[in-house]
Amino acid sequence: MADKTRITIIGGGVGGYPAAIRAVRMGAEVTLIEKDALGGTCLNWGCIPTKALLQSANVIQTMKESDTFGIKCKGYEVDFGAVMNRKNTVVSQLTRGVGALLKAKKVKVIQGTASFVDPKTIQVNETGEKVQGDAILIASGSKPGRIPVEGIDGPDVMDSNQVLAMKALPKSVVVIGGGVIGVEFAQFLIAMGTEVTIIEMLPGLVPGVDKEIAAILQKQLSATGVKVVTGAAVKGIAHKKTENTVTYTIGDKTETVTAEKVFLTVGRKPDFSLLNIDKVGVKHERGAIVVNEFMETNVPGIYAAGDVIGGIMLAHLASAEGECAVRNILGHREVMNYKAVPSCIYTTPEVACVGLTEEQAKERGEIQVGRFPLRGNGKALVLNETEGMVKVISDRKFGEVLGVHIIGPHATDMIAEAVLGMTMEMTAEELAGAIHPHPTVSEAIMEAAMTIAGGAIHMP
Amino acid sequence: MPVEIVMPKLGLTMTEGLIVEWRKKEGDPVKKGDILFVLETEKVTYEVEAPEDGALGKILVKEQETVPVGAVVATLLKPGEIAVEVTAAPVAAPKAEAASPAPAAASSAAAPAAVAPSGGRVKATPLAKKVAKELGIDLSAVAGTGPGGRILQEDVEKAKASGIKAPAAAAPAAAAPAAEEKLVTFTGMRRTIAKKMLQSKLEAAQTYMSNTVDASNLQRYREALLPFVEKKYGVRLTITDLMMKVTGAALREHPVVNTRWTEKGILYLPEVHMGMAMALDEGLIVPVIKSINAKSLGQIAVDRTALIRKGKTNSFLPDDIKGSTFTLSAMGMFGIEQFTAIINQPENAILGVAAIVDKPVVVKGQIVIRPMMNVNLSYDHRTIDGAEAGKFMQTLKAFIEDPVMILG
Repeated sequence: MADKTRITIIGGGVGGYPAAIRAVRMGAEVTLIEKDALGGTCLNWGCIPTKALLQSANVIQTMKESDTFGIKCKGYEVDFGAVMNRKNTVVSQLTRGVGALLKAKKVKVIQGTASFVDPKTIQVNETGEKVQGDAILIASGSKPGRIPVEGIDGPDVMDSNQVLAMKALPKSVVVIGGGVIGVEFAQFLIAMGTEVTIIEMLPGLVPGVDKEIAAILQKQLSATGVKVVTGAAVKGIAHKKTENTVTYTIGDKTETVTAEKVFLTVGRKPDFSLLNIDKVGVKHERGAIVVNEFMETNVPGIYAAGDVIGGIMLAHLASAEGECAVRNILGHREVMNYKAVPSCIYTTPEVACVGLTEEQAKERGEIQVGRFPLRGNGKALVLNETEGMVKVISDRKFGEVLGVHIIGPHATDMIAEAVLGMTMEMTAEELAGAIHPHPTVSEAIMEAAMTIAGGAIHMP
Repeated sequence: MPVEIVMPKLGLTMTEGLIVEWRKKEGDPVKKGDILFVLETEKVTYEVEAPEDGALGKILVKEQETVPVGAVVATLLKPGEIAVEVTAAPVAAPKAEAASPAPAAASSAAAPAAVAPSGGRVKATPLAKKVAKELGIDLSAVAGTGPGGRILQEDVEKAKASGIKAPAAAAPAAAAPAAEEKLVTFTGMRRTIAKKMLQSKLEAAQTYMSNTVDASNLQRYREALLPFVEKKYGVRLTITDLMMKVTGAALREHPVVNTRWTEKGILYLPEVHMGMAMALDEGLIVPVIKSINAKSLGQIAVDRTALIRKGKTNSFLPDDIKGSTFTLSAMGMFGIEQFTAIINQPENAILGVAAIVDKPVVVKGQIVIRPMMNVNLSYDHRTIDGAEAGKFMQTLKAFIEDPVMILG
C-alpha cells in the first residue's frame, strides 16, 4: 500500500468523483473531501434536477398538443409538490449511486470543508483531521453568480439553488440573465403556467451560441409566451409585500416589470473561498485558479479541474479535466484538449453545439456552411417538431468540420456524433458519407454535411 | 604552438554562437585580417578574422554547430608549424569529412524508420490524410500523436517542416508539377523573431490607440533644420528623427509608458532608449538609440545613420540592439496610412508611425488640405491603463503639431 501514489481530491462533484475513480483504476489511493453532497452542483443543483423538472414540462407539452396526434386529453393539473418530489427522487438515486461507486472503488470519502496546511497536506476543518497526499486535485466547483444592484439581497430574489428548493410555484417570475440556466428555468416555468419575463443584458438570448441558432431559440421561447427583454441593464429590485419590481434600462429608457419572484441566473463563479489556497501560493486570476495545459497549477503537485478554473463551466468538461489531471499526476503527459467541447440547452426545441460558431469560424479563415432545416426531415415531421435546423461549418480547403450546431428534437443526444467526429478530425465528407439510420432526426446532420460535400438530397 | 581560435564574446550578454560558415578550409593559408568564419548569435551575424598570418589548422566545430563563448573552434598554425601539420592534414581531413556526413545520413534515414508503423495500415485522421495528399507527405513516415498513435493534421505539418516527402511510387502521379515548393529552413534570427512576436501576442494584453495628427510643423522644422544638420553633422535629417525626438520627450512626460513588465512588478526606467524597428533582408531587428532625450536632433540623425549602415553591412554588435525601453516603427516609406505594431517585449508599448498624406481637414470651419499622419500606439494594458495611454497620445499629438513645445 505504501507504494501507491496518494491523491487528495477536494470536491465530490463531476470534476472530482470521476477523477477519483479513474485514479483508483490506475492504481492510486484516493481520499475525497466533499463539504456538501456527492455529485456536486451537477447532480444536486444543476444539470440533473433542472432536466428532471424540464421533463415534467415536456409531459405538459405533450398533453397540450395531443390533439395534433388524434388523442383527446381532458385537461391536467400541476401538482408542484409531486413535480419537485420526482426531481428529488432522481437526484437522490444518482447521488446514492455515486456514493456506492466510490465505496466499491475504496475511495476514502470525508465529509467536511478542506483547507490547505501545506502543498501536500489538507486539513478537514470540522474535525481537524489532516490528510497527506503526494498530489492534490482541487475540484471545488463554483457557486451562483451575483450582480451588484440594489435589492439583490431581497427576500424574493432567488439563485438557482434556492429555485430548486422552492416549495410553491410562483404566479409570476422575472428571470435576470438569459443564458442557458435562465432560458431553461423560463421554459420550465412557462409550461407550469407561470408568467415569465427574461431580462438579458446582451442583444440576444444565450450569448455564445451561434447567432442564427440562438435567434431560432429566442423566437420559439417567445412563441410559448415568455416575455424576452434583451439589451437591458438591470438597475434595481424593489420589494413590496407580495411583489417585486425590477427596474432596467434599455439605452436611455427606463422600464419596470413586476413579479412575485425574481430568479437570478447570471452565470456562475469559481469557488475556492474556503480552501486557503493563498497559504500555499496557488495562483489565481480574475477569481479562477490558473492551470497549465496539463491541469497543474503553479505549485508542483497541486492540480485543478472543473468550474474552479473558470472558462467553460460544464459538467462533462469538468470530468474530462479531472481525468486528464489524474493521468498527469500518475506519470502520463497528457495535454487537455478543448477542441471539441459540446454544450447543450434543454429547452424545447433543444439546442446543442460543438466547435466554432459561424461568427468565430469566419474570423479564422475561409469556411463553408451547410444548413439543413428540419422541415425536410421525416422523423421531425412525425414528432411534430419541425422548427429547427442543423448547421455544419467546415473549413473551405480541406473540409475539416469546425463546428456543428443543432436546434431541434434530440439535439443534445445527437451532438455526440459531431463531437466524436471532430475529435477524430473528421471532414464534411465523412459526416456526409456515413450511413445514418432512417428515419431519425440525425439524418439532418448528414444532409447538412452533404450540402458542403456535393449537395443535400432532401432539399431543393 | 598553434594559436587557438575561440568563439568570441561580442557583447555582455552573449553566451553562445552558431558557426554559420567556414570561409577557409583546413590547410588554407591565411593572412591577418582574413575572414575565417561567420558566426551567428540570436540576433547578429559576425565575421571573425584571423588574428595573425599562418594557415588554418584543424576545424573543431563544424558548420551549423553551436558552442559556448570561449570554446576553441579551430587552430591557426604559424608559418613554422605548417609543414609538420600539413602532412597530417590530408589524412585527417578526408577522415573527418567521411565521418561527418555519415551520421547525418543515418539520422535522416533513421527518423522515418523509427516512426514507420509495424503493420500495413496507417492510422490517420481524415483531415490528416487530405493534408498529407496536398503536401505530398508519405503518411507511413509520419509519427502519430493522436489517440492510439493516430496521425493528426498537426503531425503531418510537422513532418512537412522536417522534410519528409511523398513516397517514390507516388511521384509519377505528380508528374507535371507546377511551380516547385521551396522550404526555407529557419535562421536563428527568424526563430528569434517568431518566438518574440508570438510571445508578445500571447503574454501581453495588447490593445491599440490611434490618432491622426497634423504634420505641417514637423515638415516645416525638418526643412528648416535640414541644411544646418547636413552641414554640421554630415547626415540628412528625417521625419523619423524628429518623431523619435518628440516621442522621447512625450515619454519623459508619461513615465508609465517607458516601463518594463517584470515578474516582480512594473519597472520604471529612468532614461528613454529609443528602439528603431528596422527591416533587414533576413528579418526584423530593433537597433537602439541610447538616452535619446540627452541627444540633439543632429546626433539622433548621426546615430540612426550609423545603425542603418551597420544593419546593411550586417555588422551589429549585440549591444547595438539591446536595452531599448520603447520602440518606434515607421512605415512612411511604404506609403502605409495606418498600421499596428506588436510590442517589443519586455517593453510595454510601441508606436507605429505611418506615412504623411495630404488630406482635407476642417480647421476653424473651413476645409483645408493638411499633411496628416497617423500614429498608432500598441500598449500592454496590464501596465498602461487606457487613460494613461490617452494622455500620452494627447501629449504626443501636441508635440508633433508644435515641436517647439518640447523645449518647454
